[in-house]
Amino acid sequence: MEVLESGGGEVRLSDVDEVRQWMREKKTRKLVDKLCDERSAVERYVFDGAYLSYDLSSMVRGPMSLEREIVRQRKKDLWIAAKFTLLDTTLLLGGGCLAKIDVGFAGLGRTLFAAIESGRVKTIDWSNGTLALRHMAGAMGVPYLPTRALLGTDTFKRSGAKVVRDPFTNKKICLVPAVNPDVAIIHVNQADRFGNARIFGPSVAPLETAMASKRVILSTEELLDTEEIRREPGRTTIPYFLVDAVVLAPFGAHPGTCPGLYTYDAANLDEFFTARDDAAMRQYIEKYVYGPKSHAEYLDLVGADRLMKLRDGEKIRQGYYL
Amino acid sequence: MKFTDTELMICLAARSIEDSSTAFVGYGMPQIAAILAQRLYAPDLVQVYEYGAIGPDVATPFRRNMMADARNSRRSFAWTSMNWTLAYAAAGFIDFGVLGAAQLDPFGNVNSTVIGGTYERPKIRFTGSGGGNEVASLCWRTILLAEHEKRRFVPKLDFMTSPGYLDGSPDAREEAGLPRGTGPYRVITSLATYDFEPQSHRMRIIGVREGQTVDSIKDQMLFEPLVASRVETLAPPTADELRVLREEIDPDRVVIGRPE
Repeated sequence: MEVLESGGGEVRLSDVDEVRQWMREKKTRKLVDKLCDERSAVERYVFDGAYLSYDLSSMVRGPMSLEREIVRQRKKDLWIAAKFTLLDTTLLLGGGCLAKIDVGFAGLGRTLFAAIESGRVKTIDWSNGTLALRHMAGAMGVPYLPTRALLGTDTFKRSGAKVVRDPFTNKKICLVPAVNPDVAIIHVNQADRFGNARIFGPSVAPLETAMASKRVILSTEELLDTEEIRREPGRTTIPYFLVDAVVLAPFGAHPGTCPGLYTYDAANLDEFFTARDDAAMRQYIEKYVYGPKSHAEYLDLVGADRLMKLRDGEKIRQGYYL
Repeated sequence: MKFTDTELMICLAARSIEDSSTAFVGYGMPQIAAILAQRLYAPDLVQVYEYGAIGPDVATPFRRNMMADARNSRRSFAWTSMNWTLAYAAAGFIDFGVLGAAQLDPFGNVNSTVIGGTYERPKIRFTGSGGGNEVASLCWRTILLAEHEKRRFVPKLDFMTSPGYLDGSPDAREEAGLPRGTGPYRVITSLATYDFEPQSHRMRIIGVREGQTVDSIKDQMLFEPLVASRVETLAPPTADELRVLREEIDPDRVVIGRPE
């Protein structure tokens, strides 16, 4: 196949057979209890320099309790897939955890853009769709997938994609390389102790992300018995053998919403958004991340009153909870 | 009645989306334009969101950061996920894409990544593509929305995030590998509307706001647009449009703002 053009962006390449071998050896098929707290899950599976992927974002069903724990443990030099993101990058950056961002949507917050402008964090530009597709390739055990996006643009030039001549039609097509993150963090509505998990509502690429990643930490609003899972198997999004750790985290998406369960915490989000500089962001992190030592303490800090209002504030259950 | 620039743009965009069509919708102004279209002109419009909602009956009032939440996804025909929604676009099922643009060139190419400096050390960094590159690449007709400021209309972009007609040559998109027959359809600003002249693929003024002229529009751009043989005067927002916008969709004026 003739390579016509190569994007110059740095790529975390995977070796499909090495990944397969990993999935064979490190992902037990035994039904073992994977329930643990966020501290031990993050200690065990998130290492300095890791490539990290999450699903959805800080605003909606994002794994916020796990992101806060990563910041709390002061993980360093992470490379993240920002495939549909809002505050996640900004929070991780504020905590000093980030080295590189594969950008679909970089995120929001003045401190993030200032860090990119000053060269403190490196970006590799892709698009939301091509990052989701790279996870799909990683999930399928293939080295790349073709797409008709990116073509002809500077986004392509900054990405790590390639344009080739399609051997079947002779037309140009863009190939994006598989990504196999070192670790994925995904917030789910319900899971059992083994990691069988249900996500309700539309989403970015939770199954692709879980299948592609070498380690998967789930945080869940609710724990179910496996019997419950088996009773309605059509509702399972992620089967247990993809999963390494299950963390019980009610309100785990706070200050974002978990659709069908609770709404956004607008006041908290305002505090986040008004952090215009690094000092203000440090203050936010000091208060909400370093202050509480666990997700439980975080919920204490937010307060039962507020949490009850957020739950009451979500008026739509239809489609999420039957 | 007084109205804001944003209100005008939203109304113009809402009027250009056809009923019983599918439209890929970006955050903010495009969302509101699609909701307005659905309320007034295109009841069977199917809004498609990259996060997986297909055909929602979006709850109003609009809330800041309302994307992928329960109110934005309400009563959809289907809930899927990103690889699927973009597959619908790639497979030819999505008629319109509605996108905001920070910077535009004569061929409808869009920059939403960096301005000034170098890529590594830009003067101003923006969010990057999001789903914009896919929308502009894969939907049949793209509608681009931009506040009309001179510096946004440049002969050459600092960075081409999402494709318009590329260098404008007749088959530029297809030669690059993009789907045949796709591309920018309208540019809607706070002062004017444009289509793209079919041969040269250059932006062409087709409408100007009341009180503006073709020359006054040209004075507010850094490149020279073409001008259609007939330029219409754009109807201001109707009382009905403003009522729906201000009372139903965005009473907090999160996106539409307040007239001075």
